[in-house]
Formats: sequence, structure tokens, C-alpha cells
Amino acid sequence: MATVTIQHVTKSFGDNVVLREFNETFQEGEFVTLLGPSGCGKTTMLRIIAGFERPTTGELYIGDQLVSGGKTFIPPEKRNIGMVFQSYAVWPHMNVFDNVAYPLTIKKTPKNTIREQVERVLDIVHLSQYAQRLPNQLSGGQQQRVALARALVAAPELLLLDEPLSNLDAKLRESMRFEIKEIQKKTGITVVYVTHDQAEAMAMSDRIFVINRGVVQQSGTPDEIYNHPANQFVADFLGKVDFFKGEVRDGRIYLEGMGGQSIAYDGPRTGRVDVAIRPENIIFSAEGELKGVLETQYYLGDVDDCRVRVGDSLMRVITNGYEHRFLHEGQEIRLAIRESMVFEDDGLLEDILKIRT
Amino acid sequence: MKRSTDPRRNILKREPAKLVTRIGLAVIFLLGALMAYMGIRGQNEFSASGFSSERAYQAIYALSGQVSDAWKNSVQPDLNALTEQERALLDSTMADLLRDAWENQNAGAGEEAARLAAEGGERKGEITGKLLYTTYLVNGPKVSTSDRKELLGAKDGKALRLQLLQCMIDESLPLPKEAASLAEGLTGKERQAMLLQAFFVSGGSAGSDLTDNVNSLKKSVRGKEHQLTAFRMIARSEVSWGWQLLVSNSSTAVLLGIILMLDMVLLTLLMMAEKTWIVDFKWIMILLIVDFLLLFQLFPSVYMLIRAFFPEGTFSLSTMQRLYTYSMNLEALKNTLIAAFATMILGTAIAFPLAWLVGRTDLYGKKFFRSLFILTYMVPPYVGAMAWLRLMNPNVGTINQWLRVIFRLSDAPGPLNAYTLPGMIWVLTTFYYPYAFITISRAMEKMDPSLEEASRISGASPVKTLLTVTLPMMTPSLIAGALLVFISAASCYGIPSIIGIPGNVNTVTTRIVEYVGQGQTGMNDATGLAVFLMVVALLILFVSDVLLAKRQYITVSGKSVRPAIVELRSWRIPMTILVSLFAVIVVVLPFVTILTTSFKVDIGKSVFDASNFTTTNWTSVFARAETIGCLKNSLIFAAVSATVGLVIACVMSYLLQRTRVRGRSIPNFLITLGSGTPSVVIALGLIMTMRGNFGINIYNTAYILIAAYLVKYLMMGMRTVVSAMSQIHVSLEECSQVSGASWLTTMRRITGPLIFPSIAAGWFLIFIPSFYELSMTTLLYSSTTKTIGLQLYEYWTLTSQPMSCAMAFGILLIVVFLNFILNRLTRGEFSI
Ligand SMILES: Nc1ncnc2c1ncn2[C@@H]1O[C@H](COP(=O)(O)OP(=O)(O)O)[C@@H](O)[C@H]1O
Ligand SMILES: [Mg+2]
Repeated sequence: MATVTIQHVTKSFGDNVVLREFNETFQEGEFVTLLGPSGCGKTTMLRIIAGFERPTTGELYIGDQLVSGGKTFIPPEKRNIGMVFQSYAVWPHMNVFDNVAYPLTIKKTPKNTIREQVERVLDIVHLSQYAQRLPNQLSGGQQQRVALARALVAAPELLLLDEPLSNLDAKLRESMRFEIKEIQKKTGITVVYVTHDQAEAMAMSDRIFVINRGVVQQSGTPDEIYNHPANQFVADFLGKVDFFKGEVRDGRIYLEGMGGQSIAYDGPRTGRVDVAIRPENIIFSAEGELKGVLETQYYLGDVDDCRVRVGDSLMRVITNGYEHRFLHEGQEIRLAIRESMVFEDDGLLEDILKIRT
Repeated sequence: MKRSTDPRRNILKREPAKLVTRIGLAVIFLLGALMAYMGIRGQNEFSASGFSSERAYQAIYALSGQVSDAWKNSVQPDLNALTEQERALLDSTMADLLRDAWENQNAGAGEEAARLAAEGGERKGEITGKLLYTTYLVNGPKVSTSDRKELLGAKDGKALRLQLLQCMIDESLPLPKEAASLAEGLTGKERQAMLLQAFFVSGGSAGSDLTDNVNSLKKSVRGKEHQLTAFRMIARSEVSWGWQLLVSNSSTAVLLGIILMLDMVLLTLLMMAEKTWIVDFKWIMILLIVDFLLLFQLFPSVYMLIRAFFPEGTFSLSTMQRLYTYSMNLEALKNTLIAAFATMILGTAIAFPLAWLVGRTDLYGKKFFRSLFILTYMVPPYVGAMAWLRLMNPNVGTINQWLRVIFRLSDAPGPLNAYTLPGMIWVLTTFYYPYAFITISRAMEKMDPSLEEASRISGASPVKTLLTVTLPMMTPSLIAGALLVFISAASCYGIPSIIGIPGNVNTVTTRIVEYVGQGQTGMNDATGLAVFLMVVALLILFVSDVLLAKRQYITVSGKSVRPAIVELRSWRIPMTILVSLFAVIVVVLPFVTILTTSFKVDIGKSVFDASNFTTTNWTSVFARAETIGCLKNSLIFAAVSATVGLVIACVMSYLLQRTRVRGRSIPNFLITLGSGTPSVVIALGLIMTMRGNFGINIYNTAYILIAAYLVKYLMMGMRTVVSAMSQIHVSLEECSQVSGASWLTTMRRITGPLIFPSIAAGWFLIFIPSFYELSMTTLLYSSTTKTIGLQLYEYWTLTSQPMSCAMAFGILLIVVFLNFILNRLTRGEFSI
């Protein structure tokens, strides 16, 4: 299985710079996810790896081999890569068997080997009994699996998936996540997975690259990314988060618009900061530092999604659904912050919020 | 429960509307039925009472001496059975006939005439008169002016004057002025009768001073006097004209009645399906459009089919058998099939790689080439044919001259010859490959590029991908494009008429036009051939619209489709050169040829020879009042067609895109059918049904041309507007309506501006082909409705090639200019 080394890759279409200075190495057998909002350049990166686009500058290696860069360019068909497209791209004029057998047919593999291999992968994706069907007789999920089987059949060293689950319904999406992960574990193949769905990324990846406007914001395990985001964008993009402006003074952060209330802080930052707090990291507690009034609650069964007015600000608190029975609107309440993320106030937050609204 | 929401109340409220509508529908239906009944009765009454036309016709035929004795004997009983009144009529009619016979030096008829004159009875004066004039007629041009004056002044009464007049307005005598002044001297019924006859004799194109009167006369045709005149004309084998006028009033009643009945049935069915009984504006619109299409499109085609298989009212394949065993027709059939097939193969073979290179590779100048190839689409076919004749004329063709120099050939004609079947195929190909090019390009643009990328990543090279994925996926569009080329080539008239006729390469279309030129008898034969074209066209329409449409693989992915561009690399320059070469040969060379030829004195020499350059071709062509008149006609007819067509297109697209009205697909289907019918077939159908024999007489008028253009080109305009309408989401309109705007305001402020570019495009898409139309115009024009295309054709075949080239280039300039306006109006969104 192959590593992928991306060195100083930049890509622009005309004046539009889509990727800036991409500099990463994907390890053998690693499940890597490129995560970011739509239009951030994920697909472009994937297409550069596949060889459908040439990087404007920089080099790309698959294994030890330089595949794009300088004068060198190895076309997609010579890169030994499997790829699953967002639209599945299952050929409508071939039946399932022929679709899956295509990469082997191209390689002039002997007939019976083809049969064996195709049957093997169709078995992996649970499509054995559909071999003779035409794609238009299959459901979206089944077509998806045909595409997966086709990408796997030639035993590539690298598998690229571009939002493969975004056209499926929610239930199917969850089970397919699991299946793809299982297949990756079984084959040990290196996977580069593109998605804008953070839950998908969290569930499957060994390592996530969070991208915004063509720049990698952070790379790390799901845990690192979620709990220790490198900046406000990453914090905002994964999970739910509320931002507050504040100032560090005397080991405390004084939050703006909360009537001078503050929370404890023992980190290194000083001066003006952005504080990001995840609603599930706030708990109702008599010893809580912040005082507020419970304004509304949305009871969802498993959780209770509350809004608490603290000073002039609203804080979102997601608490265990069980607590619902002890709470009522208008109640005075104290909040304890279990964990918060504190960033330097560098103006990035305003940028993000501007886009979000 | 609140009273206002009681469902029963609502039903009660609607009940009166329902009742009124139903009664209204029934009344109109009955009215229609009554009209039809009266009409039919009128026709029967006419033939039963006054005169048995059929018998009279036979008798006259028999007496004319032009038929065998056996036949004559067989009608003798009929003759004997004639009533007194019929006999008298027959005598005078016979005199006419005898005159004709005499004219034709038919001795037998002469004797018959003499006998008739001798025993003429009470009509003796009239008959003698006729015979007298015959003398005058035969010697017409030789009779001196003074003699003529004397004759005119002769005192023996009206009969003489009448008959003289008749002679004078005969088409063989150039005396329309005198005839007109003579007509002044007559009053009342005689005058009417003579004018009417003038109208008959001239085939409807009597001098304008006469025509005006004649039009009002047609209304009174059921008067005895006019019946008489009409029968005379029948006797002179102007059967269709006479017959048409005789029955025209009652036919109109029948037609109107039937249309009313049909409309009411349709309306009732639609309303039942929609479960509403409120007569809406849109119903009326649908009905009007359907009526138009039924009348001018479906009915003529169906009538032609019937006539082809029931030539004399009973089923008979004899016409067909005769037609399709006649060697010239067989040859034409063979030529048509070979030419269309070869053009299809060649055209598609050119169009597919071209579409791929221009659409999916990094060829240099892609956009330019694309516009250039589509440009050919708006050039009239006959202009292309003219250019290629100039280039490949066996003697003086430019390419031949070059080839002879390059390959040091002798000065013998050749090596290329446009006046052959291969020559015609080549010209057809250069003209019709854009049809396939456009169809294929469109499909290629729509194809999800990841289908090809999936193949590349699976290890297939670009070429392998092209062959195993792109090509098979494109097959349905490829076939559709190919079939379009086939039927366009098979039903083309402009190119075969210019290349084929002089080269003696007949095709079905040129044969049809020739048959039509032969008059009444030719018409049946033309129909027989037209049916062949029609069947082929319908078959193709069925295959590409029904069968292929179902197999369309083209999946339009939700995301924006950015076609994957194949890098040609080392092939990039050679391919660009190849495509440029093709463009030069197929597009540039013909245009340049037309331009240079238009400045030549001697077409055999180069335009750069000192003494060979002249601008007189241009000045003399465009100084002629006739050219300007034709140009004006073309512009007016095209503008009217485009405007009417666009109104229909807008209504149709509203119906198709914004309503769920059931039955909205009926007119849509008919419009598609119309555009798929070969031009020649449309025109022929109109000739056969629109000359008054079914109650509508627009023969020889501008209306028949406009109807033909509409039937053929409506689809082009409609498709554009419909697709624009489908792009505007209905919520935009609803949003405006919610904001309080009325339907009209919404249309004006929201929908209108949004689809304006497409409306403009649709208008031009009907205007441009109508402007330079030739195939249908050839069959439908009259002396007052000549168009520029026709004029150009006449110049080419009869007058001077350089002059016609000047005119052709003028037409091209106009078309390019219109295209430029279109581009401007639509801010570059549309051009053809
Ligand atoms: N072939 C192209 N030409 C021009 N712009 C492109 C092209 N492909 C992508 N882009 C632009 O690059 C940006 C990133 O696109 P993409 O990589 O598809 O984003 P995503 O992260 O949603 O997959 C977008 O703004 C897109 O418009
Ligand atoms: Mg993408």
C-alpha cells in the first residue's frame, strides 16, 4: 500500500486560487479525510491526486514515485488508483458485472481471473446476486456499492472517495460508513476520503484534514480536532459551538455582555480572546460560576436543548434529557463550564460569523 | 361547522356555471352540426337539381373527339338522358370545347362544331358567335387593329361582345387591358360572369383590376350565370378551379360546422378530465392552436394519404403501381435513398469527431470553430449548392482549375464534377453535418464527465475511454443526429434542384415539384411520391422521439457539469490544423466563392483579372423593382410567421410548463409532427386542400405561404421558449403573485423579462428560415407572392450566375446581420 506525499501543492483556476501550499503526507494504510465546507477545494485536491488536474506548482508523490510536478505528469490510468465519484459514475450501458470487471478487462486479465475477482468484490459489497442487472434497475445505495466494487477490484494501492455517501438517505449513509470502514480495515488500503459532513469524518477517519478556502487549518485525529481545534474555524466547523468575546485578567476571562461575570482560566493567553464553548460542555450546577435565567428549552427526548440568558447574552446548553423534569422556564440557574476553548482575538471569528449568516 | 366551509355550499355555487357551460357546449355543438348538415345538403342539392356535373363532363369529353369510340358509346345513354335544360347548357359549353378543339386543329371537332352551329336552335346566335371568335382567336395576333375595332364595334349584340371578351382575356392573347375596358361596357350579370371567367382562365392571377372584382364574385358563385361559367371551365379541363368555386360556399359551411363540433367535443373531454366547468381563456387558446394545426397540418397530410390510396374515391394501388414502376421515379427514389444514406454516414462521421474535438479537448480556437460550424446551419441550402457548383463545375470550377494545375492534368473537364450523385452527396453533407454536430455536441455537454473519468481511473487511455464509454453512451444521440441528417437530406429540395436538375440527378423532391408543375393529373402522381417521403419522415420521427428518447443514457448530474477536457498534447497542433482545413474547405471557401463570383464578368476567369471585375451584378440586381418587391415579400411573410408563431409558442410554453391542463400535449405533438414533415409534403398537402375545395381558399395568397412556414418552423421557436420557461422556477412567479401582483403584471414584470432573450431567439428562429425558404415557396407562390429565395433560384437557373451570387451574398449578409441583432438583443446569450 502506498503513501501519498504532497509537497507545496498550489492550484489555481485563472485568478482563482483554490488550493494554497498543500504540504502533507498520508501514511500507508491510513484512512484520511479531507473535511471542509463546500467549495473549499477538497475535490480539487482529490482530482490532483487522481491525475485529473495538474497542480499549478508543487509536487505529488504516490509511494516513492513522482506523479505530478515539474515536467512529470503521469495520467490517471497509469496511477493504479481506485476512485468513487460523488455521482457514482456507474456506466448505464453495462451491467453490474461488466462495470466492475472493466478495470480488469482493460488490463487484459484472463477471463477466469476476472470472474473470480469480480465475484470476490461483489461479495464484499453484498451485490453478488445483482451481477447481471443494469444500473438503472438498482437503487442509489446499490449503485454506490457497484462504484465501490469497481474501485476495489483491481486491488489498487490507493482509494479515493469523493463525498460517496452524500446522495444517500440518512439510514443508508450510516450503514455504508461502517461498511467502507470495514473494507478498508480488511484490505489495509490507503484511503483518501472527501466529505463536508463532520460526523462522517469523525466516525471513519484515522486522520482528518480540515480545509477552509484552500488552506489546511488543522490535521489530526478526530479527538484532537474536536477537542483541541487549532483555531476558531475548526472549532466552529466540527460540532456545535457558541463563541463569546472576552478579556483575560487575573487568571479569569471576563466575558462581554454577561454583566461582568467571568470564568476561571489557567491557559497561556492574555488580553482579548475568543472563547468557544460547546453546549454539551456546560452543566447546570449549584456551584456554577455563571448565573442566569433559563429562557427556553427544546426537549428532544434524549437531550434537552436549553437557552439560558446570562447578562445580555444567550448561552446554549445541551443537557441530559433526564434533567428536563427538574427544569422550568424562567428559573434562575447557575452554569458550570466543564471545558472551553480559548483563542487569540485575531479577527478570524468575525470572518467566520460573516460567512455563517 | 362554519357555514362558509360547508362543502355542499360550494358545489351549489358552482352548479349554475356547470349548467351554463354544458348547455353552451351543447348548443354550439348542435350549431356546428346544423352548419355541416346544411352545407352537405347544399352540395347535394346542387348536383341533384341543376345539372349532373359528372354526366355533363363525360358527355363533353365524349364529344370532344379526344376519346375512343367505345368510351363515347358508353356515355351515349347519359347524353340521351339529358334534360332539356342540360342539353342547352351542354350545347353552349360544347361550343367552348369545340373552339378549343378547333384551335388544336382537331378536324373531327370542327365538323361537330359546324353541325352544332347549323342546328343551334335558340342558342344559335351565341354558338355562331363563339365560332366566329374562334376565328378571331386563332388569328388573334394577326388581326389588324382596324379589323379588331370593327369586330368590337359590330352591332350584333351582347353575345358577340361577350365572346370576344372571352377570347381576349384568354391567357394566350396579350390583351388584358382591352379586355378590361371591354368589361366596362358590360353590365350586371354578364360582366360578373366574364370577370369570373377571366379569373378562371388566368388561373387566378388576372390583372389586379379584375381580381378585386373577382373576389367579391366568388361569393355569388351560386348564381345561375356563374354556374354556367364554371361549367364551361370544367369543360376546358380547369376542373379544379371551376369545381372549387361551385361548391365553395357549402364547403365552408361544412368545414366550419365540423370544426365547431370537433372543438366542442374536445373541450368537453378536456373539461371532464379537469373536472372544471368554467370556461377559461386557456381553453380557448388551446382550441385555436389545435384548430390551426388540424386545419393546416394534419388535415392536408391525411387528405394526401387518402388521395394516394383512393385516387378516384375507391381504394386502388394503381397510381402507386404506375408511379413506382416508372423508371425515372425509381431512379429518383434510388438517388434519394443513396444520397440521404451517404450524407447521413458521412455527416455523422464528420460531426462526431468534430463535436468531440471542439467540445471535449483542448483544441486551439474551440469557441471560434464551434460558432463557425453552427453558422452553416443558418445558410440557405441552395446558396451552398450554388457555391459548390462554382467550385466543382467540371469545366470552369475553381477547384478543378486548381487541381488541373497542381496535378498537371489536361484541360479536359474534371476531375471533379458537381453535377453528379457524389457531387450532390458532398454538398448535402457540407450542409447537413451541422445538424448532427449540434445534436451530438449538446449530448456531450450534458454527459456527466465523471463517467469518463471513472474509465480513466480504471486504467483506460483517453482513446480507449472514447471508444468504450463515451461512444456507447452517446449512441442514442448519435443515432438521433444521424436520422435527422438522413431525413433532412432526403427531403431537401434546394440542393437537388440546383445540382440535380441540370445534372439529371432526380430525387423524390424534384420529381414531386415537377409533377405539381404538370397541373391536375400531375398532382395525383406528386401525392403518390410525397407519401413515400412522409412515411419515411414519420418513421424517423417515431424512432428518434419515442424509441431513442427512452434509451437516453445522458444523466444530468445535479452538480454543475464541467466537461472533462482531454489534453491532446502532441496532437494538439496537427488536430487544430486539420479542423482549420476542414473549416476552410467547408465554410470559408463556399462563402468566398459566392462573394468573388458576384463581382465577375466571366465566371470562368479569376475575379482578379483586370477586365473581369465588375460591380454591375450587384447594382443591377438590387436596382430592380422586382428584387426589392421579393425582398419585401420575404421580410413581411417571415415577420408575420415569426410573430404569429411566437404567440403560439408563448401560449404553448405557458401551457406546458405552468399548467397541468390535460390535452396540452395534443398541440405539442402536432407541432413536433409538423416540423418533422418534409417541406415539400407540407406544401403539397396545402395545395390540395386549401384551394377552396374544402371551404378555404388561400391558394395563391400570402396566407398559404405563412401557414406553411408556421407548420414547418413553429417547433424551433416553441422549443426555445419552452426550455427558457422551464428554467424559471415557478416559485419566482408565485412569489410575485403572493406579493400582490396580478397574473398579467407577473407576466410583464417577472416572467417576461426573464424569458425575453429566448423570445427574441424564438422569433428569429422562425424568421430566418422562413425568410429564405425555397422548397415550400416553389410550390405555393403566385405572381404576387414571390419571395427572395425563389427570385434567387430563378436568377440562377434562368438569368445569370454572377447576379444570383450577388443576391445570395445579399441574403447571407441579411441573415448574419439578423443574427448579430439577435446576439445583441439577448446580450450574447443566443445566436444561431
Ligand atoms: N475546472 C475548474 N475551473 C474553474 N474553477 C474550478 C474548477 N474546478 C473547481 N473550481 C473552483 O474551485 C473551487 C473549489 O472547488 P472544489 O474543489 O470542487 O470544492 P469542494 O471542496 O466543494 O469539492 C470552487 O470555487 C470551484 O468553483
Ligand atoms: Mg466537491
